[in-house]
Amino acid sequence: MADELDLNSLNDEELVGQMHDDLYDGLKDEIEQAVHILLGRGWQPYDVLTQALVEGMRVVGEDFRDGILFVPEVLLAANAMKAGMAILRPLLAETGAPKIGKMVIGTVKGDIHDIGKNLVAMMMEGAGFEVINIGINNAVENFLAAIAEHQPDIIGMSALLTTTMPYMKVVIDTLKEKGMRNDFIVLVGGAPLNEAFANAIGADAYCRDAAVAVETAKNLMARRQGSVQERARA
Amino acid sequence: MPDAEIPPVGRRGAGRAARRAARLAPVAASVPFITRRIPLYAVLNDEGLALIEHNADTVLEEVGIDFKGDAEALALWREAGAGIDGERVHIPRGLCRSIIAAHAPAHYTQHARNPARSVVIGDDHTVFAPAYGPPFVHDLDHGRRYGTIEDFRNFVRLAYLSPWLHHSGGTVCEPVDLPVNKRHLDMVYSHMRYSDKPFMGSVTAPERAADTVAMAEILFGADWIDPATGRPRTAVTSLINANSPLVWDATMLGALKTYARANQANLITPFILAGAMAPVTAVGACTVTLAEAMAGIAFTQLVSPGAPVILGSFCSSISMKSGAPTFGTPEPSLVLFVMAALARRLGVPFRSGGALCAAKIPDAQAAYESAMTMLPACLAGTNFILHTAGWLEGGLAMGYEKFVMDADQAGMLQTLLNGVDLSPGGQAMDAIREVGPGRHFLGCAHTQAHFATAFHTSSLANNNSFEQWEAEGRQDMAQRANAQWKRMLRDYEPPPIDPATDDALLDFIARRKAAFPDSNV
Repeated sequence: MADELDLNSLNDEELVGQMHDDLYDGLKDEIEQAVHILLGRGWQPYDVLTQALVEGMRVVGEDFRDGILFVPEVLLAANAMKAGMAILRPLLAETGAPKIGKMVIGTVKGDIHDIGKNLVAMMMEGAGFEVINIGINNAVENFLAAIAEHQPDIIGMSALLTTTMPYMKVVIDTLKEKGMRNDFIVLVGGAPLNEAFANAIGADAYCRDAAVAVETAKNLMARRQGSVQERARA
Repeated sequence: MPDAEIPPVGRRGAGRAARRAARLAPVAASVPFITRRIPLYAVLNDEGLALIEHNADTVLEEVGIDFKGDAEALALWREAGAGIDGERVHIPRGLCRSIIAAHAPAHYTQHARNPARSVVIGDDHTVFAPAYGPPFVHDLDHGRRYGTIEDFRNFVRLAYLSPWLHHSGGTVCEPVDLPVNKRHLDMVYSHMRYSDKPFMGSVTAPERAADTVAMAEILFGADWIDPATGRPRTAVTSLINANSPLVWDATMLGALKTYARANQANLITPFILAGAMAPVTAVGACTVTLAEAMAGIAFTQLVSPGAPVILGSFCSSISMKSGAPTFGTPEPSLVLFVMAALARRLGVPFRSGGALCAAKIPDAQAAYESAMTMLPACLAGTNFILHTAGWLEGGLAMGYEKFVMDADQAGMLQTLLNGVDLSPGGQAMDAIREVGPGRHFLGCAHTQAHFATAFHTSSLANNNSFEQWEAEGRQDMAQRANAQWKRMLRDYEPPPIDPATDDALLDFIARRKAAFPDSNV
């Protein structure tokens, strides 16, 4: 696939530009290589994340929203982003850089619908979030266990059925009972939901699609902690 | 090499700039005409069809059909063996069919000035053309008003820019701002200049048909005569309507003869509002239609053996309470299926259908009624579908929004007619093996290779979430269509034409206009 271009021959500015293109084109190996090159040149992991990866995926997200990119293309781009993040994540932890955010996401009990929720997980990873995808048919105990193990910032719940969406309230009420509700951002989504439903069950936001989920997560994280995105924008 | 031409640093894909450029570029002005790859749908067996054929021959022999105001036509029929009683022609059983079988082609190529846009009419092919004949135009901004030559040009431009319309049509609207006896010159020129797709000619008088042929000869220049046959290439298909029931009139016969003698195609169409111009039953309407059509088609072959000809059927029901024509009703769809089968048995191309409706605006009635005719027309194997785009209120108005909505649907129907891909790529076993149970196909190699073209994507349908649709202004289909046709006209660029040819056409028009005074009769 790759024609002959030595990434090492590019100066920093050219290399970051090339990474934006390579993210757009979903080139995982090239992104990994470029992340290593920037780190080797003494870049801070946090700068690699914000200037190269997050900025590149911002463009991908825009063109997805505008109907220029197709879902399979965004999936490839997110996979490339995820590969770059895998290199950076331990380094970011070591350097104490601001977190983009961590999410536990799952389809609620009684509901076995997987794909829409997986698209949200994919897009969140593409935006630099760490995502723990706990799959389908999750009772409240599964969410509690994942919370205890992973200490997320965000809990995402999905349902495709009107018969299963009320279970989201069971999860939120349990968090309230345990005095944990305000420790997390709770995002909900799925075809039969709307904003009024999300408000009624006590979620923080209804996300109508994967792109909105990412935007909402970024905004709420920024409000919580003055996040990476906010600082990058400044 | 100047700096601007140095390719940007990059390899493989070229990132956002390249993809945006490719995805936002205007689509091709045209896709090839359709070759149907799904079976025909039939509503009658051979026995039923043979019964209608027998009855139509009985009508022609026993009741007879009028050829009015045309002594030459009567002479030709007499010579062919018909009985003549005044202007009434009694055609012996089987005579029309034998004349047609001996001479009429099963298909023909209608040449466009851009050879890539030429179409084959007949056999397994389907060609979509815009609506024909409306005196009014309609759009959301200005409502309903008389059509002008600028509206006419606009619809030619829109048809040119609509990839799913293979044909520029004819009277896309009536330019009532121009004198009746000269407007055909501007209409034909508009098709020639603002599009490079095939088009239809003037039929309102024999001399206007002759002007059409003369302009086509200028347009095609050295390519006009086909060296293989020594005859003109067929560059015009023109609409010849019967004055149903059972009358062919001098105006239509005059245009018919002019075109047939120049080897141009005639679209012989009985125009039946069942209950008014034919019995109220499907078989009765088919019998009258077939009788009129066979007489008209056989007549083209008496005039000019081998001249291209299409069997057309325009059949609508009427409201028995008001007499108003009705569209999108089931009975005419049954007539359409039967007539398509009868045309195939006769061995000539078939025209019918269209996005027909009685709706005044591009609303749900317009969409339902149009679909109720377009789908049967496609499933019946119709070769030439006039009125595919724009038709409103029984053909009285050409709608700008309706036009782009219909053109969008035509794309859907084209994909339907393309049928099912059984190739290894179509079987997609590699994808099923790769993904297995419980995972999704969005990322697998097969999907990555095919996603961009896997599904026909409507340019107008809104598939977004309620919230996004609401945030974008709660636009309904007609509002989105309004934005689309305006964008198309704004970005329109005419296809190139040889300046000498253009000058010759304009010179011909100027001389013809100067040759006689304007008249509105």
